[in-house]
Amino acid sequence: MYQYSPEDTKFLVERVDQFEKQLKRHLDGDLDAAKFRSLRLRNGLYMELHAHMLRVAIPYGTLNTIQLRALADVADKYDRGFGHFTTRQNIQYNWIQLPEIANLLRDLSSVGLHAIQTSGKATRNITADPLSGLTEGEIADARPYCELIRRWLNLHPEFSWLPGKFKIAINGAKLDETALRVHDLGLRLVRNKEGELGFTVYVGGGLGAAAMVAAETASFVPVEDILSYLESAMRIYNLKGRRDHLKKLRIKFLVRQLGAEEYSRLVDEDWKQTRDDLELKLNLTQLSELEKDFALPIKPLVLDGFVDKVDFNYSIWKKNNVRAHKISGHSIVNISLTKLGEAPGDATSEQMRILADLADQYSYSELRTTKRQTIVFPHVRKDQVFDLWKSLEKYGLASPHQGTLAQIVACPGGDYCDLAKAVSIPIATRVQQRFNDMDKLLDIGNLNINISGCENSCAHHHVADIGLLGMQKNGEEYYQITVAGETLQKTVIGKKLGPSVSGDNVVDAVEDIVNVYLDNREEEEKFTEVFKRIGIKPFKEKVYE
Amino acid sequence: MSDSNELTAASATLEAKVTESRPLDTSVLNKDNESIELVSVEQWIENVDEFSKLGVGVIVKPSDDVKLLQDTLNNVTLIALDFNNFDDGRGYSQAYLISKRWKYAGEIIGINAHLDQLQFMLRSGVTSYKLLQDYEGFDELDYSNGFSICYQAAANNSGLKEKF
Repeated sequence: MYQYSPEDTKFLVERVDQFEKQLKRHLDGDLDAAKFRSLRLRNGLYMELHAHMLRVAIPYGTLNTIQLRALADVADKYDRGFGHFTTRQNIQYNWIQLPEIANLLRDLSSVGLHAIQTSGKATRNITADPLSGLTEGEIADARPYCELIRRWLNLHPEFSWLPGKFKIAINGAKLDETALRVHDLGLRLVRNKEGELGFTVYVGGGLGAAAMVAAETASFVPVEDILSYLESAMRIYNLKGRRDHLKKLRIKFLVRQLGAEEYSRLVDEDWKQTRDDLELKLNLTQLSELEKDFALPIKPLVLDGFVDKVDFNYSIWKKNNVRAHKISGHSIVNISLTKLGEAPGDATSEQMRILADLADQYSYSELRTTKRQTIVFPHVRKDQVFDLWKSLEKYGLASPHQGTLAQIVACPGGDYCDLAKAVSIPIATRVQQRFNDMDKLLDIGNLNINISGCENSCAHHHVADIGLLGMQKNGEEYYQITVAGETLQKTVIGKKLGPSVSGDNVVDAVEDIVNVYLDNREEEEKFTEVFKRIGIKPFKEKVYE
Repeated sequence: MSDSNELTAASATLEAKVTESRPLDTSVLNKDNESIELVSVEQWIENVDEFSKLGVGVIVKPSDDVKLLQDTLNNVTLIALDFNNFDDGRGYSQAYLISKRWKYAGEIIGINAHLDQLQFMLRSGVTSYKLLQDYEGFDELDYSNGFSICYQAAANNSGLKEKF
């Protein structure tokens, strides 16, 4: 697995040393709160009421077990024994004390982890398909490209003080597990007619109050030219992006204001002048070294006469959580840390250490994190999946609900978050109670429900089959319902069903929507397919009858 | 995840930015300690011939379109980029265009500069700087040259091991 070189680690330590000096100046009264805020955010540190929240990057969602144990140690040493895996391949700690931050970051740097640019108006952690390298039909493993672009953006002299935050995702697989077209900038690995590798570039996507699907600004940028293209795309944003309106800082507003065509024209005009600049060509030697570092640690296995165990709970869990690996004899295993009724993504240090031990035993010491806030064991021998399941079950990590409608994505909501307009987790719990019949859950299959407590959309409700958005109406909690959002095959923002529904009635509405789906489903049709065929009307009629 | 404290702090910063109407600097000491008179980009464009003879410098605000200077750049004695607004990063792109793309040979001075941003300014193409008064007494090297390695091409990477 890829590891930082000594000079990369030295860079991380130098960054901590500098931040420590800035912190000291702030505590001594020599650096005001507004400037310190800009600086600490670029080091992943948020200020909250009673403590600080630190966001640590998990670049492209790949972790080794040494790193996961280090994250567990940080949870014990500096927090209250747990961390929170986010939807964007980061982990957050909520109870960090300011004077301890430098030591914490030094501990992390020793295992190649950091919090650089995980927050603030800079380029954030680059996310990748959590199944990079694992699935059939993939154009290429996105991670070597993520790493080269991540490095290139590290304290970039020109792009560290952008108008707003800037999130990049890269996907090389057939299905888009990254939701790249709701990112500020998305890169899809493609091959042109000549078979050469390059990227299709999408700019200006985002969720939040003004959800937008990113526009395609270039259909094919050759791999070696991607840095010069990115430089131009970001330069136009840096120079022309709005800085005067707090809610219009993101690049999606610039693209909308200029029009995608005009934005692309400006980028192309700038790019013409740097495309042939040798200093901006992607370093293909470094790329091939990284490809070796990210190569899969497994070879095809012939498992003669292997017959998997038969066990009711195991079969249900396996159906929803185990996927085919492109290397024969292996499987990809998805693990949810969340018990029903709890905030998704929370993990105790004990759970982290259990997962590290199990990954050493069953998954070549490698783990991945996903936007559904789950953990993936990327390479498990098929004849060991049952043993892994037994272990997971022992530790309460193998609920058969995983992968069904009952595994709801919810933000912390009004119970925990100052910004929320309504609660999220209690609604999730009530939906789970309504759908508590395992047979029915299996019949419904994989249907996503995402619940955000406000329009910041932390639970990505716009791109779920059923999305709920919390709001206030006359002092009461209401939920706006959106249906048939998707990102896997193509990116579609969910359609508003109609007037928002009160908290009392929202679970009935969800059940109505699920029933319209079941009543109209033909064979194995997915929710979005049924929606495309029958339209919004039957759903509307049922919910508002 | 995010919280209202952060939002309130951000609003306050933004408000300060919008209401700010500082008079522009009218002169600056160059690297040889000579006082250079500064004119705005608009003034420069309107009186290029006259100002070219007088040997004045041009002060560039973040909101200025530096492309307006491109054709007459070599007549400008000195370019002063104003970095007073900590969160406004347009000066770094302006420095890049003037220095690296248009190969301006004169002095590019970052004025009203912040200690913590020296490394970004200098690598973007700024050749000299004048810090705001608040920063007197701190070791500038910690912030202008605190790293041993860099990961991208830039106008100036001197002293850094390049890895890209």
